[in-house]
Formats: sequence, structure tokens, C-alpha cells
Amino acid sequence: MLSISKAEKSYIQAGLTASPPSRSDGRGLLDCRSVALETGVAPLANGSARLSIAGATEVIAAAKLDVETVDDGTEGRDGGRLICTVSCSPSAYPNLSSSTLDDLQADLTSLLHTTLTHPTLHPQNLGILPGKKSWLLSLDVLVLADGGNVLDALFLASRAALWDTRVPRTRGVEYKARGRTAATATGGQGEGGRGDMDVDQEVQSGFDSRMIHRATDFELPDYWDEGEVLEGRERWPVAVTLNLEPPIHFLDATSQEEAASPLRLLLAFAFPQETPPVMQAMRMLGPGEVVLTELKELIKAGENYARAMHAALNTKLREEEVRRNQRARERFELHR
Amino acid sequence: MAQANFDRRRINGPEESHPPIFGAEELVHGSRWKAGQPRDSRKPEDIRRIFLKSGLIDQANGSAYIETERTKIACAIYGPRQSKNTSFNEKGKLNVEVKFTPFSCDRRRAPMRDAEDRSIAVAIHQALISSVRLELLPKSTIDVFLTVIEADGIEGCIASGIVAASTALADGGIEMIGLVVSCAASVVGSETWLDPTEAETQSSEGTVILSCIPALGTITSLWQSGQMRQHDVLRVSLLVPSRAYF
Repeated sequence: MLSISKAEKSYIQAGLTASPPSRSDGRGLLDCRSVALETGVAPLANGSARLSIAGATEVIAAAKLDVETVDDGTEGRDGGRLICTVSCSPSAYPNLSSSTLDDLQADLTSLLHTTLTHPTLHPQNLGILPGKKSWLLSLDVLVLADGGNVLDALFLASRAALWDTRVPRTRGVEYKARGRTAATATGGQGEGGRGDMDVDQEVQSGFDSRMIHRATDFELPDYWDEGEVLEGRERWPVAVTLNLEPPIHFLDATSQEEAASPLRLLLAFAFPQETPPVMQAMRMLGPGEVVLTELKELIKAGENYARAMHAALNTKLREEEVRRNQRARERFELHR
Repeated sequence: MAQANFDRRRINGPEESHPPIFGAEELVHGSRWKAGQPRDSRKPEDIRRIFLKSGLIDQANGSAYIETERTKIACAIYGPRQSKNTSFNEKGKLNVEVKFTPFSCDRRRAPMRDAEDRSIAVAIHQALISSVRLELLPKSTIDVFLTVIEADGIEGCIASGIVAASTALADGGIEMIGLVVSCAASVVGSETWLDPTEAETQSSEGTVILSCIPALGTITSLWQSGQMRQHDVLRVSLLVPSRAYF
């Protein structure tokens, strides 16, 4: 993004490849800048997170749930959908023209969307009424400032927002025509069998020529919490970008370093609890080539970095949950 | 909304339309292959037959046409020409655009609106950029236009598009350090299927597209999506180049 002079470029490259390597902020090659994360920053979203890498890169992610009708003509699908969008604030990229910014947004969106919407990651509790209604989960990520390493920040913030997302509980409502006792409540129940069923008895008219005798709808029961978490939230991947400056690679580049060594390898890993880690996305970005043997080493190293990042993020997210529960309890005490 | 960007020069379809559903054909497809069965019609490590011809488009500086069963792509190269913007650029610019014909996919792709696919263009650009000697062409631009006439999955489009574009660049006499070849592979169960079709990709857990310069033995692009184990990725990455040199 940033364009730097040849002299600066070679100065940075020389520093990175020197032994011992030196970076402008005194970090080692594999050191990350400090990352600050807070969840629940958008009160109207179903899940949100704000992430900042050393105050230089700032990303807000928010997940919002909408009810969608599952129909032939519409986009809605049984079991729900996930749509990811990345938008970049023009203030984050003051040097880019609006068309370049649009392209950048489209690239980031397609990367995040294709990675997170893969069927193997789909949460199972986004259905409401089978064949009728489902949740549309839209994840919007906003890049407020880019101080380098936006890709890792995007995936971290998305994971935190999706982790924080609560799906409201729903209860199926069924209107049953009299005389059809055989039709017991099976179809009206939401996936996962949550909630009881309200069965309204309706007097059947002799002139009723409707084909469907059972209309189903749902309601939101009033409950003390905001709903249940997304199913399989441990599966959301974390991404790590390896910046390649052969023969070395380094992590968490600043924007100057990104401009100086443009070849990057993005690796997204998921760490399910029972099974070994799986790779969810891999992209080579920027001009340059690698040899297969190097690549093997890079992927192995990347998995270890991603595991460390995953562990740190999980600890932070659990901490955040405890903190927010405590805050909610205090507020409850205050209003009592 | 429709009035604002209404294109009078084209035959406009109705506002709302649905792709036709071929019940009988669907059944045939479903009965042919089920999860867990071995691949039909070819071996797991076989690729589809390729028809590749360069120089089919006369007015372009270089061109190529590639056909692998149901994937058909035409590629034309224009340039190198002077960059339009005034800022000085030490290196040349490679501009890749991918357009779909309205009839290329199951669902109609409306012209102008969703004819362009940037993600495919970005993938092709990534695979080609390090092979072209852009440092010899300051202040200039090379345009690569790909037209997808028939598509059989994104992966097939990207892989065939890269081969076609690289051939067209060579046909256009643009200096390169080597030809780029590319192949996709999907992991289906415990097997690795090279050059998957759309249906095969959908039934797979993960897909890798690998682009390399065989002359130098280097990899220019690696694109993986879906769920794969680390050793699977490496196995596929080893397998693809061994089969992709043709």
C-alpha cells in the first residue's frame, strides 16, 4: 500500500536479513506487537469485537443476525447463511484512490468470505424453522487504521466477533387444524429442539380450501440471557501471515516492512479440540517465488505460530466473557 | 433501480428469473457418483484432456484458447503499451481482467453487473506476476483479458486461465523467465483428485491450486481453501507439479 523509496526499502531489507536481524522497533523476527482486544463493543450487534495491534492497526468486527425466509426464489437457505464483508475506511488508506480502495475491499472480502463460509465451518444452529425461516449471519469487518498486518487482524477480530455472537432462542409456534390429531408437533420445532411448543386449537371451517393445514411461525421467548453461542465456535480459524524475505521470514510486519518485502504467505489454521489442526486457507500474496522445500518448512512453522496465537486468543476471549458477565451482574445489582 | 442502469443495447431478460431445473439430468448425475465411491471416468491422478492453441485472436498482440472438457477460456493480450496515468513507474504493470459470458454458468451472469470476477483475476495475476519480466518495461502496461465461455468450477477456471494467459503472453512475445503451469487438486476422502470438476470440488473437503514455473522449479502461487490436514497439503503440492508438466 505504502510506497517507499528504494533507499528505505533496501535499508529495511538489509536490517531484516542481517545477523542478528534488526527491525525498526527493536523486535525480533518472530515477535508480534502487542494486541489489544475487547468484545461486545457494539451494543446493537449480536457479537462484536475491536482489535488493535499496537495502536497502529485497528479493526472492528460485528456480527448481526437477520431472519430470512427460506424460499425457492430467495437467497435464503435451510440451516442459515453467513456473509462476510470487509470495508476499509478511507482514513486508513489516505493515499489510495477510491477505486483502488474498492478493489482492496473486494479482495479482503473475498478472502475472508471464502475462508469463513466454507461448508465445513458452518455453524449448525442457524436454522429456525426447517424449510421456512433461518438466520442470516452477516459479519461486517471495518478497517479503521492500517499499520501493517491487516490480514491477521481481520481474522483475529472476525474470530472474536463470531465467538461472542449469541443466537437468540426461538420457539416454534404451530396452528393446528382440528381433527388432525396425527399431525403431532414435529415439523414446527426449530433445529436443535429448543423451547416448548405452543399449540393453538383452531376451529376448522368447512369452506377452508387451503392446501396447507399447518402454518408454522416462531416467537422469541423472553429469557435472561441473549441466547446461545454459535455451534462449533472453536473451529473458526486464526490466520498468520509469514512475510518472506528469503532466506528468512518474519511475523507481524509494519506497513513499511510490508512495502519493503511484498511476498507474503497467509496461512489460516483451525484447532478443533479432539482432532489434529486443519488448514483452512492458504494464499501466496505478492510478487515472488518459493521453492517447494522452503514451503514445507514455512507451513510447519506457520502452524506453530498459529497455535500460539490461537491459545492466546482463546485465553483472552474467555477472560472477556468473565469480565462481561461480571459487569452484567453488577448492573443487575444496581437496578434491583 | 432498474431504470437507472438499464442497458438498451442488449436484450434484457426479465427482472426476476430462475435457472431451469433439469430433473432427469439431475437424477443421472446423482446416480453416477456417490460419496465414498472411486472417481468415475478417470483415475484420481489423471487430468482432463487439454486443447490449447495460441494465436486465435488476430487483432490481439498475443492470444490463446484453452479447452478442458467443460471449461473453455479465450485469452487475449494487448500491449505492452504506455500506461495511461502520468505517474512514473519503474516496473511495468500487468493488468488482468476476467469476464464471464452470460451463458457460461448454470445461472445467467448478467452483462456488466456480475460478468466480472475479481477474485479469479487476482488469482491469475498472482500466478503470472513473478514470471513476467516487468522490470524491462518501465512506464508500460500489459493487458490480459480472459473471457470465460464455459465454466466448470472456479478452480478449473483459475488453473486453465493461468495456462492460457501464460501461453498468450509467450505468443505475444513478452519476455518471461518461464511458462507458468497450474493445476487444481481436491481431497476427497482419502484420495487426491487432480483437476476436479465443479461437482467434484463440491463433494471435496478442500482444494489446492498450485501454479509453478517448471523451468525453474519454483512456485508462483498457492491457493488453498476448505479443510485440509497439513500433510495432505504437502502431499498435494508434491503431486501437482509431478503431473502438471505437459
